[in-house]
Amino acid sequence: MTPFEELQQAIIDGKAFVSKALTERMLKDGVRPGEFFPKAIIPAMDEVGRRMRECEFFIPEVLIAARAARASSDILRPLLVGAEAMSSAGTVVCCTVKGDLHDIGKNIVAMMLESAGFKIVDLGVDVNAEKIVNAVREHQANLVALSALLTTTMVNMKSVVEALTAAGLRDNVKIMVGGAPVTDAWAHSIGADGYGKDAPSAVELARQLATA
Amino acid sequence: MTSRERVRLALEHREPDCVPLDLGATTVTGMHVDTVYRLRQALDLDAPGTPVKILDPFQMLGEVKPDLLNALAIDTALVCGTGTAFGFPLEGWKEWRTFAGTPALVPAGFNTQPEPNGDLLLHPQGDRSAPASGRMPQGGVYFDAIVRQDPFKEEELRVEDNVEEFSVFSDGEIEHYRRRAEELYTQTDKALVLNLGALSLGNIARIPGPGLKRPRGIRDVEEWYVSLSARREHIYKIFERQTEINMANLEKIYAAVGNRVAVAYLTGTDFGAQNGPFVSPTTYRNLFFPFHKQVNDWVHRHTTWKTFIHSCGSVWALLEDFVAAGFDILNPVQCSAARMNPFDLKGKYGGRITFWGGGIDTQSTLPFGSPQEVREEVRERIRAFAPGGGFVFNAAHNVQALVPVENVLAMYRAAREYGAYPLRMDRAPSLTAVGTKH
Repeated sequence: MTPFEELQQAIIDGKAFVSKALTERMLKDGVRPGEFFPKAIIPAMDEVGRRMRECEFFIPEVLIAARAARASSDILRPLLVGAEAMSSAGTVVCCTVKGDLHDIGKNIVAMMLESAGFKIVDLGVDVNAEKIVNAVREHQANLVALSALLTTTMVNMKSVVEALTAAGLRDNVKIMVGGAPVTDAWAHSIGADGYGKDAPSAVELARQLATA
Repeated sequence: MTSRERVRLALEHREPDCVPLDLGATTVTGMHVDTVYRLRQALDLDAPGTPVKILDPFQMLGEVKPDLLNALAIDTALVCGTGTAFGFPLEGWKEWRTFAGTPALVPAGFNTQPEPNGDLLLHPQGDRSAPASGRMPQGGVYFDAIVRQDPFKEEELRVEDNVEEFSVFSDGEIEHYRRRAEELYTQTDKALVLNLGALSLGNIARIPGPGLKRPRGIRDVEEWYVSLSARREHIYKIFERQTEINMANLEKIYAAVGNRVAVAYLTGTDFGAQNGPFVSPTTYRNLFFPFHKQVNDWVHRHTTWKTFIHSCGSVWALLEDFVAAGFDILNPVQCSAARMNPFDLKGKYGGRITFWGGGIDTQSTLPFGSPQEVREEVRERIRAFAPGGGFVFNAAHNVQALVPVENVLAMYRAAREYGAYPLRMDRAPSLTAVGTKH
């Protein structure tokens, strides 16, 4: 096994201590920080996504793997400079919408997007449209990812789309939505650009939208 | 036929005179206080402004009183304890208004504190000096638990810390159960449902310990899910200890209520998400199954109760294990989740488990559909679940706030109309059940 394969395996197995130690050792051996994402972290989390989709992995396994990925990426991010730092897949402003405090789904999506190379601006839970508009502007985000668990709060996704339009930012960002009661039809009806039915689909969708 | 008889036959997988109806017999088949109020007004049961009691301050469920049960021809009734998720008892009622303006009655311990942004905080055991354990966002419709997780060292984790909210019921509490069961058994013909959802192992809504002033142990939701895989032995020991306490409670409650109770709601832990189970079947088998089986075996050996498991979401992959663990009844039967097609469920498990719920989709049709769409979906679900009995009608979970009253009325009317045995369905079954997704 190459060191990159070893690191991939450690992430898939959710061994945070191992992924941290391996990352440190590989850096010492001269691996460039920018190589880790395409050669280990992204493929490992893609495999985690595949296993989740195929019902081999469930929430605990995905969370543990994402933590192991983070143990590695936390070391790497401060070291990414110049062209490597700029080569992120895109900047995503994500949150749970106004009135909704449920964040486990949003957190999993955020962790998986981060491991897929996106820069994440996580605004947390119960976030109003104004705050999202400001964050998009401040971070020059090209994606907005909105989550809602409740039938009583999913309607607030629509106000975010409207606020981004009113602020003149709608053409700069793609908007993706997800959460238990959310459907593809709902996404269309409120003028969002896409619906992610689970975390792996959200990553795929983000990749498509970021390059569209 | 009495309601009790109707429910008994359905649970024995025989066809009564019509499909039994439930509303409010459990804390997972109830109705939000805002909707209870609007429903009572629409049915002319109360003068305008008459408050509705909140029996579950966590989910903000309103009391479903006998007059409402009778108005909707409901066949079941709730037998619950005096406790709440926030650790204060259901007593000392005082007036309060929801964000929607509904006049309500809340227990004396329901002491809210507004935040500068308009959110409401609730405190464990009503003690405002303890860190808040519940938050309702401004304009919101119920509380969520606030995670209060102190940092911990692996070697300092103690089983007892995650058992603090489990205790052997006091004699007073047991007497409350006894009185309530006797009252309902002698004064109504309803089938009684004993609510023991608080005994659930690993219920994520309760993991943060909203009733505890200073919860210790693993209290963060994400950390708990991680622990189901990463700290398996520790979790097993927690469940083992909790089950010891639960078994003692079951024995005491049975001694008090006997077989006046028809159904025992034993666990409300959600094992399903929208697209599949939260945990693998292996995790269920290793961690939960042994204890679920132990409790079910005891109930079936000593009582005539049927046992009720509630789990939202897609649980198709776990159903074989639920049946093997001895559960008699599945709720809420969330057909909008993946692999939860009503005809598939009935076809494979109809002879072995009673479906209690699944009558309508609470994520789409009930809140957002027209009364006509509600009627059509109810008919389709009855067509799927009702043949041969083994079906008690209820929406697929509590009826939430902001649901049109006309839809609630259309749902129960359609259930009675289409649920009469022998079933007469005036339309050929459609190929795909309404409101299902694969």
